[in-house]
Amino acid sequence: MVIPASMYFLFSPMLVVLTGLLAERTGQPKLRDVVAVLVSALGVVFAWTLYNALQAAPDNILVFSLGGGPPLGASFEIDLMGMFMAFSATILGFFATVYSYNYMEHDTRLTEYYTLLSALVVGMLGVAFAGDFFTLFIFWELMGIASYALVSFRKNLPGPIEAGFKYMIMGSVGSTVLFFGIALVYGITGTLNFAQVSTVIHGQPMNLWYYLIFALFVIGFGVKSAIVPMHTWLPDAHPEAPSPISAMLSGVLIETGLYALTRVLFILFEPSFFKLTIAVFAALTMTLGNMMALRQDDVKRMLAYSSIAQIGYMLIGVSTGLTYGLMGTLLHILNHSLMKGLAFLSIGSVVYATGTRDINKLQGVGKMMPFTTLAVIVSFLGLGGVPGTNGFISKFILFNAALGAGMLILAILGVLNSALSMVYYLRVIMVLLSGEAEEGMTAKEAPILMVGVTLVMAVLIIVLGLYPSPAVGIASRASEALIDNISKYIGVILS
Amino acid sequence: MDATIWLGSALALFAIGLYCVTKRNMIRILLGVEMILNSGNFAFIYFAAQHAAIGVVDPLGQSIVFMSIVTGGCVVAVGLALIVNAYKHFKTTDSRELRRLRW
Repeated sequence: MVIPASMYFLFSPMLVVLTGLLAERTGQPKLRDVVAVLVSALGVVFAWTLYNALQAAPDNILVFSLGGGPPLGASFEIDLMGMFMAFSATILGFFATVYSYNYMEHDTRLTEYYTLLSALVVGMLGVAFAGDFFTLFIFWELMGIASYALVSFRKNLPGPIEAGFKYMIMGSVGSTVLFFGIALVYGITGTLNFAQVSTVIHGQPMNLWYYLIFALFVIGFGVKSAIVPMHTWLPDAHPEAPSPISAMLSGVLIETGLYALTRVLFILFEPSFFKLTIAVFAALTMTLGNMMALRQDDVKRMLAYSSIAQIGYMLIGVSTGLTYGLMGTLLHILNHSLMKGLAFLSIGSVVYATGTRDINKLQGVGKMMPFTTLAVIVSFLGLGGVPGTNGFISKFILFNAALGAGMLILAILGVLNSALSMVYYLRVIMVLLSGEAEEGMTAKEAPILMVGVTLVMAVLIIVLGLYPSPAVGIASRASEALIDNISKYIGVILS
Repeated sequence: MDATIWLGSALALFAIGLYCVTKRNMIRILLGVEMILNSGNFAFIYFAAQHAAIGVVDPLGQSIVFMSIVTGGCVVAVGLALIVNAYKHFKTTDSRELRRLRW
C-alpha cells in the first residue's frame, strides 16, 4: 500500500536538529524555538490528517509495510485505538513545547532539548502505530532513550543525574526483558507480525512457555508504565525532570507503556487468562500510589505518586476484558494526559515563580498568581474526579465496568481510593488559596505563553467534562477496534 | 537436546545479567543490562536458525539482532554519560551512594 506523505512526520526530529544547529551557527537561537513549536503543531495536523484518512479507509484500518511484505518487512498498523494515543501524544507534545519556550529560556543546550522532545513524541507515535514486534521494539527504545536523556537534562545538579541513572537502569532492564519475551514469541511462531502471531498462538493449549512470555511482557511493559512492584523509578524521575518533561512523562509516556501492554496481551492471550493477575496489579497500584502520595511534602513528588494511582485506575479497565472497560481505559488515558499534563505545567509555573516545591511554603500564592492557581484547581479537581470535569466521566465508566464484570471488590477499592486521593489534592488547593505569604516571598504571574497554555488546557478539561459525547463515541469505537481489529488486520495482512 | 543446550545458555546468560544488575558498581550494572540484551540476541539467532527455510537462515531474526545491537549501543552511550556525570557529582561509581532521593 502507498505510504501517505504525512507519515514522513516520523522524521521530524531530524528537521529540528538541523535547523537548531543552523540557528546556533547563525546566532539566531529564537529561530530554533519557533521551528520546534511549529514542528510540534505539525504533529497535531499530522494526527488529524491521518484520522481523516482512517475514516475514509475500508474497515477503518490502514496498513503500510516497509521493505517487503509482512513476515520480513516492518509494518505500521493504524487503527482508531492507535489514533487515540496519537492524539494524546501530539496534543500534549504541542502544549509542552509551547510551554518550554518560556520555561526553558534560561537553560543552555536547547537544540538537544527540543530534538529529544520531538524524538519522544515520535517514539510514542511509533509505538501507537506499530504493526509488528520489530517496529514496536525500535520505537520503544527511541522513546526510552529520549526520555532517559531528558530526565537528566539539567546535568549540573545532582538530583536529575541520580534520578536519570535509576530510570535508565530500570527502563533498559525492562526493555531488554521485553526483548527476551519477543525472542520467545518469535521462537514459538516464527514471525513477528501481530496478525500472524495472533493466528498461530490463539487456540493453542497453554504451556510453561506462554506463562514465561506473559511474565516477561508484564515486567517489560510494566516498568515503563510504573505498575506497582516496578514503579520505584517514577517518584524520583518525574519531580527531577524539567516541568514540561514531567508533564510528557506522566501524561503520555507511562500510558504508552500501558497501551502497548494492553495491545500485546489482547493479541497473544484470551482475556480470561490475564484478568485476575491484572486485577491484582490494579488494586496494588492504585492503593500504594494514593497511600504514598498522602505523605509527600514535595508537590511534584505528590503528583508523581498520583500518576501511579491513576495507572491503577486504568488497569481496572484492562482487567475487565470488556469493550466497555477498555473504553474507560482509553478515555482515561486521554483525560489523564490533559489533567496530569496541566497539573505538572501549572505547578511548574508556580515552581518557576516561587523557586520552591515544598507544599507548606506555597501559602498565599493564590493571590499573587491568580490565573495559574485557577488552572491548578481545575486540574486537581479533575484528577480527583469531581463531576463537571472530564476525570469524572472516565472514572465513572471504569468503576461501572468493574461492576459489570462482576469485580465488586475492585470497584469498591477504586471508589475508596478516589475519595482518599481528594485528601491530598484538597490540601494543596487549600494551601494555595489560604493564608498570607511568608516574609520575603515574592511571586509574579508567569509569562504570558505559560499562562496561556495552562488556561487553554483548563478550558479543554471543563469542555470535555460537560460535553463528553464526541470523545466517548470515538473511545467506544476504538475499544471495539482493539477486539475486532485483530481479525480485520489478519484479513488485510493475509490477503 | 539441541534446544535445551542453546535455550539453556540463553536463560543462563539472562540470569547472570540479572545478577550483575543487583551489584554496586555502576559500570557493572550497565554490563549486566548488556548481558540481558545479549541473551535476547542469542535466543533470536538460535530461533532464526530453527526457522530456516530452504537452507537459508531466516533473515528476520538476524535483522532484529542487528537493530537491537544498535539500540543497545545507544543505551550504553547514554548510560556511560550518566555515569561520568554521576562521578563528577558524587566522586564515586558506587550506586549505593545515590540515595539522596528517598520516599
